[in-house]
Amino acid sequence: MNGGKAVLAAISVLGLTSPAKAGDELPIPVDEFVYCTVCHGVQMMGNRILQAPRLSGMASWYVSRQMVAFKNGARGVHEDDLAGRQMQTMAAALSSEQIAEVSSFVAATRSDGPPQTVNGDVDAGRDHYVTCYACHGENGEGNEAIGGPPLAGINDWYLATQLRNYRDGRRGTNPDDNYGFLMRAATLVFLGDDKSIDDVVSYIATLYDNQGT
Amino acid sequence: MVGAAGGSTAVYQTAMAMGLMRETGAVAKLDLLRAGPAGKNVVVLGAGLAGLTVAYELERAGYAVSIIEASRRAGGRNLTLRHGDKVDEMGYDQVCNFDDDPELYFNAGPARIPGHHRRVLHYCKQLDVRLQVKANVSRPAYKHDPDRFDGKPIRVSRYIADARGFLSELVHKAADKNLFDSPISADEIDRLRAFASSYGDLNADGKYTGSRRGGYKSGFAEPAENYPALDFAEMLDSRFWADGLASSENPDWGEPLLEAIGGMDNIVKGFVRNLRSPIVMNAQVQSIQNRADGIDVIYNHQGQRRKISADWCFNNIPTHFMPGIPNNLSKEYKAGLASLQPEKFFKIGFQMKQRFWEREGIYGGITSTNQRINQIWYPSHGIHGKKGVVLGAYTFFEQSNFFERMTPDERLKYAANCGDKIHPGYSDYIEAGVSIPWGRMNHMMGCGTSWTPEERVQYYKLLQQPDGRHYMIGDQISYHSSWQEGAFASAEVALLDLDQRVRAASTISGKS
Repeated sequence: MNGGKAVLAAISVLGLTSPAKAGDELPIPVDEFVYCTVCHGVQMMGNRILQAPRLSGMASWYVSRQMVAFKNGARGVHEDDLAGRQMQTMAAALSSEQIAEVSSFVAATRSDGPPQTVNGDVDAGRDHYVTCYACHGENGEGNEAIGGPPLAGINDWYLATQLRNYRDGRRGTNPDDNYGFLMRAATLVFLGDDKSIDDVVSYIATLYDNQGT
Repeated sequence: MVGAAGGSTAVYQTAMAMGLMRETGAVAKLDLLRAGPAGKNVVVLGAGLAGLTVAYELERAGYAVSIIEASRRAGGRNLTLRHGDKVDEMGYDQVCNFDDDPELYFNAGPARIPGHHRRVLHYCKQLDVRLQVKANVSRPAYKHDPDRFDGKPIRVSRYIADARGFLSELVHKAADKNLFDSPISADEIDRLRAFASSYGDLNADGKYTGSRRGGYKSGFAEPAENYPALDFAEMLDSRFWADGLASSENPDWGEPLLEAIGGMDNIVKGFVRNLRSPIVMNAQVQSIQNRADGIDVIYNHQGQRRKISADWCFNNIPTHFMPGIPNNLSKEYKAGLASLQPEKFFKIGFQMKQRFWEREGIYGGITSTNQRINQIWYPSHGIHGKKGVVLGAYTFFEQSNFFERMTPDERLKYAANCGDKIHPGYSDYIEAGVSIPWGRMNHMMGCGTSWTPEERVQYYKLLQQPDGRHYMIGDQISYHSSWQEGAFASAEVALLDLDQRVRAASTISGKS
């Protein structure tokens, strides 16, 4: 009954404290992963001011792959990608074991779906998105076998930022980033202008509800 | 006379009316009604200066206060670094490796208190935090531009004397020829010429040819020899007015300034020493929910989710974290919080094994340079001691990105090289160094905030008001973000609002 003792101790210290409501099973980050939530928010809900995307419930295989890419400098080293560079130094400080642990933590987090912030043409976006099916899934559910991450549930502003990063060479130009290299090529062919980027991310934003998650 | 008749308030008001004091708003007399039927349980989120102030004042008024702090220390950006202190930068944990010596400290956050920051000074006095004068502008320090005057540092005194001299010569010439849109009288011309001659130290012909104000070139046993006037075109090229050289014209940097003896964090220690309320460290807020008759806060601590229910909540969390914390504040309030952009300040502190600047006649003050480091500050304390801590870089806003891109070691090396161009052998004196990029500091991710003028009009008053039982406090909720005075001012506004509500509730319950 150590847990009970801890609660009692806290009550005596604070006078007002009680355990959060029963059945509440949101994962609690260990100390070394509290860092993640400073920028990405409670339960990795995202924080646009800090350019930290929502990662709640993101597939652990993809989180892990990106963390390794950051750690190895395949991502987050471009001079103009300041947010990516912040992430890079965080990932670089983690061991492979910690990357596995943090990926599980991120996959277990839960939060409300992302708010809509981009107002593109959803119908036009749907047409663009057809070319994305193969890798990212018809409903943005991702395709682990091919290596395409889930997109449903990711902030629209973050997807738009990353598409522009791909297009403008801030991402996907590093020879160590094979997947990014492919994505940059696809972006250049299909999503060259800002409007088509806004349209496609506005369509992707509608997919979150389709999944019923 | 005035003081005897009307007390200190009368003196203060008279001084204000006479224009003798700069105004940041009179310090309110916090005569808080004792905690009563409106509820006595208070939760303070964040142990920054505003949070500590609210806790201190409400505790004294009989409230039961709990403070929840996400980091491992109180004080927020009021941070003084000494031997062995952890520097909690995201991805780059550092330990301050200064010698274990109380004189060797570095104010990584606030470092200057002007005399008109009445609230800071009020609490320093109340908490028995001793202060000393801090030289902010030093005429023997340097203005340095690597591309002008052969890259040699020039004494601030010469820049000031020559800039005034050249400007005065222009005024004198204009007066001579009465070149004004509305010509002025002969008497006025005489007075203007007299002023220009005095202000610029002009010769009898109204010309500027250098001045002893720029400093003596000779020793005292020899005939006085002044430095020749600098080339004014070259001075203009160096844009000398755009940086620290004009800093004493800024009221917040006007001389004399003050600093806490032994480190600015003595203000934080003063609060902590005088608080009975517990501060729960390493406790990260997860949710803030207003209820009709109170407010619930959930936080994580030691691997557990905990809930605290209170009557009132004072939120000192940096505003830019609020979009990442679930809450049921109003939509408009949330939009206001999400509109505040965090800014970036960056500082480097170097421990120098000798106080070489004192051999150059510099005691305190600032050298400004057009290099990326912007400034070098010399300590005002520990004069003629063996060692000293110098500020080796201070950058603002986008300038800070340059250093943020580097590793801590790279930053120190870069700044050391810049210093070498000003003080020969600078790098060799460096024994230890530490860098603090506030935009990358854990639980901070910024220093100060900015609003567009439109956003300030739209949201400032709203965020100064409570939303239900929730008050937002901190330097961001002031017109002086990134100044300690702003934090105290925001706490004062919130406390006065609470007091009004408590008094109203007390009147109602008294009647029933």
